[in-house]
Amino acid sequence: MTAPMIEISGVGKSFGAHEVLKGVDLSVARSEVVCVIGPSGSGKSTLLRCVNFLEPYDVGDVRIEGRLIGYADMPDGTRRPMSAGKLREMRREIGMVFQQFNLWPHMTAIANVAEPLRRVRGLSVKEAIQRASAMLARVGLSGKAHAYPSHLSGGQQQRVAIARALAMQPRLMLFDEPTSALDPELVGEVLEVMKSLAAEGMTMLIVTHEMGFAAHVADRIAFIDDGRIVDEGPPRHVLHDSKESRVRHFLQTYHDRNSF
Amino acid sequence: MSPDVLWRYLPSLAFGFGVTVFCWSVGGALGMALGFAIALLRRLPVPPLRWALRAFIEAFRGTPFLVQLFLLYAAGPSIGLRLSATAAGILGLGLYSSAYFAEIFRAGLASVPAGQIEAATSVGMTKFDTLVRVELPAALIAAVPSIVNMLIVLSKETVVLSIITVPELMYQMQTMAAETFTAFDAIFAMAAFYWILVEAVSRLGSRVEGRVTAYLASGGERA
Amino acid sequence: MKPEAILHSFGYLTQAAGVTVAVSLAGIVIGFVIGALICAARLSRRAWLRRLGGAYVSIFRGVPLLVQLLFIYYFLAEFGLDVPAIVAAVGGLALSSSAYQAEILRGAFNAVPRGQAEAAVALGFNGLEIWRRILLPQALRISIPPLINEFILLLKASSLVSVVGIAELTRVSMNIASLTYRPLEAYLGGGLFYLAINLTLAGFGALAERRLAAGEAR
Repeated sequence: MTAPMIEISGVGKSFGAHEVLKGVDLSVARSEVVCVIGPSGSGKSTLLRCVNFLEPYDVGDVRIEGRLIGYADMPDGTRRPMSAGKLREMRREIGMVFQQFNLWPHMTAIANVAEPLRRVRGLSVKEAIQRASAMLARVGLSGKAHAYPSHLSGGQQQRVAIARALAMQPRLMLFDEPTSALDPELVGEVLEVMKSLAAEGMTMLIVTHEMGFAAHVADRIAFIDDGRIVDEGPPRHVLHDSKESRVRHFLQTYHDRNSF
Repeated sequence: MSPDVLWRYLPSLAFGFGVTVFCWSVGGALGMALGFAIALLRRLPVPPLRWALRAFIEAFRGTPFLVQLFLLYAAGPSIGLRLSATAAGILGLGLYSSAYFAEIFRAGLASVPAGQIEAATSVGMTKFDTLVRVELPAALIAAVPSIVNMLIVLSKETVVLSIITVPELMYQMQTMAAETFTAFDAIFAMAAFYWILVEAVSRLGSRVEGRVTAYLASGGERA
Repeated sequence: MKPEAILHSFGYLTQAAGVTVAVSLAGIVIGFVIGALICAARLSRRAWLRRLGGAYVSIFRGVPLLVQLLFIYYFLAEFGLDVPAIVAAVGGLALSSSAYQAEILRGAFNAVPRGQAEAAVALGFNGLEIWRRILLPQALRISIPPLINEFILLLKASSLVSVVGIAELTRVSMNIASLTYRPLEAYLGGGLFYLAINLTLAGFGALAERRLAAGEAR
């Protein structure tokens, strides 16, 4: 049996005196789609950022296909930070999509996608442009290849950001509230792209507030509150049959606010 | 001031104008290069270096340009630094403006949103590539208005070089004024000249800014 | 280098620093009054006043201070007016600074959110009350840090009044340099005085800015 794509065990993280993650366990199998939901400030974004070590966790393990990220275990049982080169090597296999898109404003859409291919994958200009155009077509933005980010709608910017991550041919993708910064009418186009990725068998870990999307696309949902995973299981279980009062209360509030 | 006086002094005034432009451009380029280097060096995690650079910036921003010029030109020889007036003037303009340019570039780098750097980190770009490909271009674009403004300030500082006898425009004007007893006309012409120069540079500057913004905002048509 | 040389001239330099501060202070205060008028002109409803204010700012910010100083000096002499150098010096500093201060004040007024005046109108305030109770107090608070910064700039610019013979810090440093043949010590001493004054002022500026930020957070 092979190791899961992502295995998080006993992960803890504090910002100063504030303990954001208090021993989290979660694993994501190959081709699985897992959505993390929970109230704001619960630590869900921090957890996601620990997976590619943008946020260094303090204790516990995060393993990508069995390989510990961010630290190297010494024979004497101590840990030291992983070398920058090895960390980069691991990160380029993990695609990440941010809430604020984080496109580079001085590059066109296609240059945003091609840049990491050139610098990190070492592709020639021609190969990089070819693959970048294919990726933009994949997210339905062939016509906007030469537009600068400031000229694109939020939904279009986020699709370029997905294309940028996807072009690296990552083994898995992380999404940090990818639709939270979008106007309501632009949410759909981004979710469509994510849905098609899931259908193709991409491994995805998604922090989101889109309950409908989670219900339809996720294989599993994890509910996190106050730095701990409170409930976890198939969408039906978490969204409808949860025994946890905190989960039910959160969902009740969510439904109240979204019905009119 | 009669036209024939102006005609007689035209060659020396033209020469002075050339010296002004030369000192301004070479001093400004020197200051920008130095300031850029300082802004980058300040990011290194070496505390003594950071303190030294901070002290350099504070010293050059906290004292008058004229005093800095005197230190270079008049006091230079006592520490073995013998410079012609023009060389001292250019070096002075360069050192003085480098402290301001260093702060301009630092602010530009600080204005790059953390998320854009994280995006580069998350695709596995090296720190060097992230700096060169992501941070610097965005920082330089953000710094354009401040750079233009500093170059305008610097163009006005060039008249101070006349005090240490750099043969630039102000110096030539004063020589002419003294020799022909036309002080008022000469200084009036000087004021008009600088006003036009600064206005022209300001307008050119806003054009450049506009172009940079338009370049970023342009859609698929022009890339 | 002999650091004692600086100590020997310490008394002269202190006195000269006093002159520098006094000249700059006079320049900034007179400049503020003129600047406030220019700012009022630039915010006026009358187009010709706005244009006049704009031209004033453009001229006095565009022409180098040294040229302005000599202009005033020679302009008055042209009309046979034998004005003491100190008047030309303070006048030059004040005129140049007034243009910058006018822009600082204008920026501060524009920084007060438009909605606040609208809210006051909706509550039935009249025009004068809106100015006195809403706009002015906020604009003055906003303009304190940039005005302190302008004072620092003017203090450094005041070194140029040495050319019309005022015995301020730069002039006295020059005199000490030529009397003692120790230019390095003389100019370093003068420079240190400028630095000490400006760092103190910058400290006040930072304090004012923090106070202001804290006041807004309340």
